[in-house]
This record gives sequence, structure tokens and C-alpha cells, in this order.
Amino acid sequence: MNGKIEYWVKIPIGPIHPALEEPEKFIITLDGERIINVDVKLGYNLRGLEWIAIRRNWIQVLYLAERICGICSFSHNHTYARAVEEMAGIEVPERAEYIRVIIGELERIHSHLLNLGVVAHTIGYDTVLHLSWLARERVMDILEDIGGNRVNYAGNMIGGVRRDIKDRHKRAILDMIQYYRQEVMPKVEEIFLYDPTVEARLRDSGVIPKRIAIEYSAQGPTARGSGIKKDVRYNEKLGVYPDLGVKPVTPKEFTGVVKGDVFDRMVVRVGEIWNSMEIIERALDQMPEGKIKAFPKDNLILVKLKKAEGEGIGRYEAPRGELIHYVRAEKGKDGPAKWKMREPTFPNLFAVARALVGEQLADVPVAIASIDPCLSCTDRVAVIDANTGKRRILTEVDLLKESIKKTKEINPNIKARPERIGIGRCML
Amino acid sequence: MTPEEFAERIKARFEDVEVKITENKLPHPRKRVWIEVDRERFKELVRFLKEVDPAAQFSIIIAEDRGDRLTAKYHWEMFWEQGESLSVIVGTSCPKDDPVLPTITDIFPSSLPYEREVQEFLGIKYEGIPDPRRLFLPDDFPEGIYPLRLDETGIKPEMVKNAGHPYRRESR
Repeated sequence: MNGKIEYWVKIPIGPIHPALEEPEKFIITLDGERIINVDVKLGYNLRGLEWIAIRRNWIQVLYLAERICGICSFSHNHTYARAVEEMAGIEVPERAEYIRVIIGELERIHSHLLNLGVVAHTIGYDTVLHLSWLARERVMDILEDIGGNRVNYAGNMIGGVRRDIKDRHKRAILDMIQYYRQEVMPKVEEIFLYDPTVEARLRDSGVIPKRIAIEYSAQGPTARGSGIKKDVRYNEKLGVYPDLGVKPVTPKEFTGVVKGDVFDRMVVRVGEIWNSMEIIERALDQMPEGKIKAFPKDNLILVKLKKAEGEGIGRYEAPRGELIHYVRAEKGKDGPAKWKMREPTFPNLFAVARALVGEQLADVPVAIASIDPCLSCTDRVAVIDANTGKRRILTEVDLLKESIKKTKEINPNIKARPERIGIGRCML
Repeated sequence: MTPEEFAERIKARFEDVEVKITENKLPHPRKRVWIEVDRERFKELVRFLKEVDPAAQFSIIIAEDRGDRLTAKYHWEMFWEQGESLSVIVGTSCPKDDPVLPTITDIFPSSLPYEREVQEFLGIKYEGIPDPRRLFLPDDFPEGIYPLRLDETGIKPEMVKNAGHPYRRESR
């Protein structure tokens, strides 16, 4: 025996794995306990949204965009609406911009509280998970009051917003901010900034240095945790945000050091909740009276957009990072000729895969949870096939036939036809 | 750097390149620079962007089937360190019967997953891509089928292998 014995172990995590509740596969090569390679495989839940979108009209895509992700549903249709407004040159009333800011920041608060709970859960602090999600209910209630739903509140319309913020909403939001300032945030800070166990567990794990973060285009809290002062709301001078004192939050303002590890990303999230509350207060204070839509009726939008031609880009800082939507219009077409979106999780996944090299296997769940992965918005098409004795492929029409057959057994009067509505040819 | 200054710099270096500046009507006016370049000079222009701002952030590839040509648009966010950033879109295209574009992974490594996505969905071959494996589509997806091409007719039944359980083998 001249030389040491070397063997590597490959461990697949996902598509369905207790440490990762969403369908994504990380193939991790191990040398003992140390990770030497991480490979990411996507596409377990692709939905073909780009293909569906080119068969719909402009307003229908707005609702499709909202269903990309349940947590940042406002962000997605906000970005899409911005892209369409830029393409067609639609001017948005100022009050609508303020309402967009308020709902967007409320959404940021609930998304960050959710992620703080998930990270606490992955290191075994389940009580923190339950309590931070309990605190999150207060924001969800207000969003339900404004939009009618806990998620997918359909707040945006092309050229404005659909629902106004009334005086009772304003009072409820100010009450909520007071409750968060006095009751929730001190406890969250105590756990995530000063608890020695949490610090020992999160410090120096999943480190993304600044150079790597720039190289891999990390976004959002992942980038800011590495010391990159980049925030689309601030860099892009988005909407009325420059009047409201938005700034990129980095861990330096809280702890004085920037390491780019999981702890720093959590510090950024805690800081952003504080910053969001300030922005909401200022927005409620400065919000002018006036109309909330550029068009009084929805069909006028379609008439205007049918004549439009050109391309537009919308960008927005979703809770997880930069969101970018692109639309292209052709004259005489009811809907977009092309719609393409990029979600912040997509580059962040590859950044964290790079950061995991050299770490321990036990740090994988917390490192992946720390980028707040929203895998449903990264995947885009679902392939349906089935094997019943002989090999057979179920198409969408077949599935619809089966479904309608079942409905007819219950109600024979139904007159539905199995028709392809949106899902494209790539669906088999 | 203002968009106009940036456009001047691009025009001074590349004379035959199309540069367009658009402005939107949001409360704070916002300008974007749209550049259109042929594929022979595309890589040179990308290298120039990196020279101008070494911290430029690559964001997205928007690839599209436009009849007889496949187009790809690349978005960069530049000068974000100076506060207000500059949003630059560089477009290039290739004919459908020769779908080859140069890779930019050696200049911006973060473009690799996007190039893999475009390669499997639209069939643009990237010359010199370090990792040409599939990212979204399954590994046993038939060769030569590109789901987002507009003239694609889909998978024929005889192309389907190993349907059903992923671990079922033909031999068993």
C-alpha cells in the first residue's frame, strides 16, 4: 500500500427530501464529511409559463405572473405590469405608485419573517419557527383585508392598482408596525443577532465571499450579506422609492463585519424588516389623493395595447432579490409575443452551490434555506406521462376528457369540450 | 456615467453597432441602452463591457424564435457601485439553419446556467461552453427537439423511452 485510499460518496438531496421541501436535486459529492462538488439539477416541476403566456391576452398574463410564486405574488405581477407600462408608455398615477410601495413592503416583511422561521427550523429551533410564523399572521391579515386573499391578492393592474388603501387599512398598518416594533423585532433580534447557539451554528457556514458573489451574480439578501450594496429599488430609482429613503442594507451597519455567511444573510433580513417599516410609515404619510388607475376600464387597456409595438423591461427588488421581466409586443396581437422572466433564486442557487464546496454535509440544509429558495418560480414546465400496463402517454386533452367524464357522472347536464387551452406542444 | 456618455463610448469603439436609448414615463425617468450587434463582434463588445466596469452584473438571456432567425438579448446592470445604475441590453442573433453563438462564460461565469437553458429550449449551440449538459429537461429527452421553437411539432410516440418509473430499465 503506497498511498492513501480515496473514495468519494455521492449523495443526492432532493427532488423530495426531508431537508428540502421543494422539488430540486442537489447532487453532493463527499470526501468523508467534506463536500467536494455540488451539482444542481432543475426541472422537476416545470410549468411552461412562457409558452402559456403567448396564447393569452395582456391582462390574463397578469394573473399567470402572479401564480409563479405564492410568497412574492405581488412582486411578480408588479414587475410584469412595469414591463408592459414601459413598453406602451403608460403613465401610472402617483397614488398607485405609493400603494404599490406599501403592499410590496408588507409582502417583504412577511416573506422575511417566513424565511427567518425556516432557517431557525433547519437548525432545530422549532419554537422560533412557530413564533415567527405566528407574528407573520398579522401582516397576512392586513394583506387579506386590502386584497381579499392571504396570498395572490391581485393588487396590480396595468397602469395602476386595483384596490385603494382606505383609512381603516392605514390605521391597521400603523397598529401592526407599532406591535412589530415593540413586541416582535426585539425578540427576533435577540435570537438572530445575540443568541450564542445561533451564532455558533450560522457563523462561517455557507460563506459566499464578495468576489464570488459578483462572479455568480448573486441577488438580494444573498448579495447584500456578502457586502454588495445593490438593491434594484435604489439602483434603478424605481417608482417613488427614491422619495422614501430606501437604501441597501448590509450587515456592516449592525455587526460591523461582513463575512458573507448564513448569519450575515439573516442580519440583512432583520435589517430589511426595520427598513421596510420605515418606508411604509413614510409612504402612508406622503401618499397623495387621486385616482389609482390610468384607465377607468380594463378593456381600454387591451385596446391600447393591441396597437402597441416594441419591447420593455421591468425590474423590481422582490424579497429574495432582483426580479426581471421582459415583454415584446407585436401590432394587432392581443397578448405578448414574448414574455420572459428571471427569478432571483436561479443565480442564487448556483452561488450557494459554489459556496457549499468545502463545507460540511450538516450545513447543506441551512445554507440552502438561507438564500430563501423559491423553487416554484425557478422551474417552469411539467411533463405528464403515465404507464398503465402498456406504455401510454396522457396528453392534456386526455386528462381533460377524464376529468369531464368524472364531472358528467355527477352532473349529466354539463356540456364541456376537452380543448387545449394553453399548455404547449412541449407538454407531450 | 450617463446613458448618453456610455452610448458615445460604445459608438467610438464599435462604429457599425446600433445603439438606442429609451426612456420610460415613471415618476423618476429611467433610461435604458439597447445595443444590437452581429454575432461576429458580439464577444468583443461583451469583453468591452467588462473592461468599462469590472463589477458589471449579468442578469438574463432573453432568447427568442423570430422566424428564420434565433435572437438572444443579454441584460447587464452596470455601475451599480456609483448608486444609480445603468441598464444595458445587448442583442445578437443567428440564422436558424446555423444556430451557433459564442459563449461568454469565460468573461461572465454566471451566464452558464442561462446558456444551458437556451441551449436546451431553443437549440442555440454555444461554442466553447464548458458544461453543455441539460439543466431543466430530463436527461432522456429526445435529441433535436427544442420546446420553445415556434415551428416545433413535439415528441413523436416512438421517441419516448423509459416512460413511467424513472428506474425501470428496458432489459427487465
